[in-house]
Amino acid sequence: MLLNPHLFAGFEIQTLPQQVVNGILAGSIYALIALGYTMVYGVLKLINFAHGEVFMLGAYGALFTSWALGYGPNGHATHSSFLVLLVMLLVSMLVCGFVGVLIERFAYRPLRNQARIASLITAIGLSLLLQYGGQVFLLNGVPQSISDTTNPFLGKNISIVLKSPDAEMLKSAALLEPKVQETEAAFEAQLPNEKSRFDLSPKGDALQKEAQAAKRDHDNAVDRANAQRIAIEVPEGKLTMLVTTFILMAILTYLVLFTKRGRAMRAVSLDFNASALMGINVDSIITFTFILGSTLAGAGAMMYATLQSGTKIDPFLGMAPGLKAFVAAVLGGIGNIPGAVLGGILMGIAENLVDWAGYDSYRDAIAFVILISVLLFRPGGLLGSDKVEKV
Amino acid sequence: MKFAATRLGSIVIAIAGCAALQVGAGHVNSFFQLLIILAGLYVTLSVSLNLINGITGQFSIGHAAFYQVGAYTTGVLAQKFFAKAHLPELVWLVVVMIGGAIMAAVAGLIVGLPSLRLRGDYLAIVTLGFGEIINIIAKNQPALGRAYGLDISPHIPSIFMVWLLAVFTIAVCRNLLKNVHGLSFLAVREDEVASASMGVNVTRVKVTAFVLGSAFAGAAGALYAHALGFISPTNFSMDVSFIILTMVVLGGTGSITGSVLSAIVLFYIPEKMRDLQAIPMSAIVAAAIALIFAVAVIRRVVDRYRGRHKAWIVLGSVVAAVPVQILLSTILKGIPALQTMVEGSKLRLVVFAVTLVILMLFRPQGIFAHHEFSWSWVKKLLGRRDVPTTAVSA
Repeated sequence: MLLNPHLFAGFEIQTLPQQVVNGILAGSIYALIALGYTMVYGVLKLINFAHGEVFMLGAYGALFTSWALGYGPNGHATHSSFLVLLVMLLVSMLVCGFVGVLIERFAYRPLRNQARIASLITAIGLSLLLQYGGQVFLLNGVPQSISDTTNPFLGKNISIVLKSPDAEMLKSAALLEPKVQETEAAFEAQLPNEKSRFDLSPKGDALQKEAQAAKRDHDNAVDRANAQRIAIEVPEGKLTMLVTTFILMAILTYLVLFTKRGRAMRAVSLDFNASALMGINVDSIITFTFILGSTLAGAGAMMYATLQSGTKIDPFLGMAPGLKAFVAAVLGGIGNIPGAVLGGILMGIAENLVDWAGYDSYRDAIAFVILISVLLFRPGGLLGSDKVEKV
Repeated sequence: MKFAATRLGSIVIAIAGCAALQVGAGHVNSFFQLLIILAGLYVTLSVSLNLINGITGQFSIGHAAFYQVGAYTTGVLAQKFFAKAHLPELVWLVVVMIGGAIMAAVAGLIVGLPSLRLRGDYLAIVTLGFGEIINIIAKNQPALGRAYGLDISPHIPSIFMVWLLAVFTIAVCRNLLKNVHGLSFLAVREDEVASASMGVNVTRVKVTAFVLGSAFAGAAGALYAHALGFISPTNFSMDVSFIILTMVVLGGTGSITGSVLSAIVLFYIPEKMRDLQAIPMSAIVAAAIALIFAVAVIRRVVDRYRGRHKAWIVLGSVVAAVPVQILLSTILKGIPALQTMVEGSKLRLVVFAVTLVILMLFRPQGIFAHHEFSWSWVKKLLGRRDVPTTAVSA
C-alpha cells in the first residue's frame, strides 16, 4: 500500500531532533549546489541542467587527486591531514570552475540570442553528454569511492545530550542490582552439584530461572530509564562540512555584496541590456558567475565524496543531488542567494523527516512533491517575489 | 461527397498498409519484428510529445511517465481480467489501449493542471519530477510488482495494431492543425499573452494538449506491455523521456513529418550500435576531437563568412573531419592509457546527447522546423514550379 495502515507507526519522538540535525547537515550540500543554480538563473534566466554533472566531475577530481596523493588502491599513505583535504578541495573546485567556464563559453554563449528553449535543450543535452560520456571515459569497471584513510574524522562523533536519563528510574534500577547478584551467586553455588549446565536438577532449574528473571527485571528498568535520554550524535566530518559551507557562503556574500564585480553581477541580473550600456562587460560577468557557481559545486562534491565514508562515485552521482538542489533553489526563490541556502537546508530536513516517518523508499519523491506544491501555492518561492508576466 | 470519398480512401489505405506491414514482416525473425513494433511505438510517442512540445509550445521532458502509466494499467488489467474476458486478441488490445489511454489522460490532467501556472523551464522540471514519482511508486508498490515488474500473460506482438496507432496519432495531430482548435494551439505557442487577449482559453488549450498527448502515449504503453510480455520500472527510466525528446527536437518542434522521420532514424541507429564491436578508446577520443574541430570551424563559418561558397565550406569541413579522425586515432593508438576497448552499446546514449547539443548549436528549430511534408512540395522539388503551394507552413 502507498500509505501503510499504521500511518504513524514509524514516528518516534526521541529520534526527531537527531533527524532534524541530520537534515541540516545533509542540506548544507544541497545549499552549496543550489547556489550555483540560483546564481546562473539570476543572471541568464536559464536552468543549468548540467550543474549536477559539474558536481559529479568535482567528485571525480577529488577521487583522482586522492589517488595522486597516494591514497589509491595501491597507495602508501596511512593517515590523513588537513593539508591533504585542503589540496583535494582546491583541485576539485578548480576542476569544476574550469568545466563551468567551458560549458558557458562553448555551449551557452553561442545560443544566448536564440529562444530560451534552445539553451534549455542544450543544457539537457550537455547533462546527458557528461553522464554517458563519463560512463565511457571515467568509469572503469565498478564505481570507486575515496579511501577512508583520507578522512581524519572517521567514526568520531560529538554527542549533545538534550535530556539525560531519568535519575529516579536509574536509582530504582540500581536497587534491583543486588538481587541479580544474589540470585546469580546462589545459582553458581548450586552448579558444582549438577551434572552440567545443560542438564539441571529441578532445584538448579528453579535457581536458574530466578536468576534470569532478576536479570531481566534489572535490564528492563535500565532500558526504560535510558529511553528517556535524548541525545544528538553529530559526526565530526559532517560538522566540518557544515562549517566549510558557511565559510564559503560568507565569502560568496562578500563577493556579491561588497565588490565591484559583485555589484556588476547584480546589475546584470536586473537588466542585461542596460548594464551592457553602462559599460559592464556582460560576457565576463557571466563567466564569473559560472566560475563562482561551479566552484561551490566542486567544494560540495569534494566534501560529499570524502567526508561521507563509502560514497560511491559514478557518472550518475550528480543527478539526484542536482535535481534536489534545483528544487531547493526553487523552494527558496530562484535567483535569490539566501533563499538557496534556506531551501537547501529545508530540503535536507524534509528528506530526513520522510525517512523518520518510515517512508524511506519514497525519499527521492519528496523533492518533487515539494517542487509541485511550491509552484502551485507560492511560485516565487519562500524568499522570492511573484512577478506577473506582461506583454 | 468527394471529401468523404478521400477520407474513406485514406482510412482504407492506412489499414491496408498496416496489414501489409504485418504480413510482410511475417518472414523476418522475431527480434526484427520487435524492432518494427518498437519503431512504431516511438513514432507514436514522438508525435504525441510533439503535440505538447512542438505544437502547443509547452516543454515536457517526462513523456515516459505517461507511457509507463499506460503500460502498468495494461499489466494490471491483463492479470485481472484477460482470462475472464474471453475476447479475441485484437479486440482485447483495443480495450487495453483505451484503458491505458484513459489512465494516462488522467495523469496528463494531473500534470497539465499545475502547468497552467508555469512557464517553460519550471514545467520541464515538474514533468521530469512527475516521471520520477511514477517510477518510484511503481518500484515500491507490491501490486505493481516493485522493482521486478509485471509479467503480462498473453504475449501479443501485433505490428498491425502498433502501426495503426501510429497512423491514427499522426492523423489526429494533422487534422487538429487544419481546424480552428488546432490554430488556437499554435497561437498559444507563438504568444500566450497575445492569444489570451484574442479570446483563446490558454489554460484549456494547454490542458487539452497535455491530456491528448499523454493519452496517445498511454495507448502506446498498452501495446508495449503486450508486445514485450514483461514490464519493469527500468523500461521507463528518464533515458526514455530524453530519447523521445531528442526525436521531437531533431525532427523540428512542430513538424509531424519531422517527428516521424527522426523517430525512425534515431530508433534505428542506436539499435544498430548494439551490434558494434568494441572500439578502442583512442578512436573515440580522436572522433571527439575531430567533431569539436568540425563544429568550431562550421560555427565560425556560419557566423563570420559572408562569401558565396558557404555551403561548400561547411560540407568541406564535415568531410575533412574524417581524415582528421583517422590520422588522430593512429597517432593516439600509441598512448597506452587509450588502448582500452569500449563496447559500442555504451555509446548509444552519447549519440543522443551529442545530437541534441550539435543540433542546438546549428539549427535550434530542428531539421524540418515548422514545415510539413506535402505533395505540392514534392512536385515543386521535381521541377514543376507552377504548382500552387497549398502547404500550410504552420
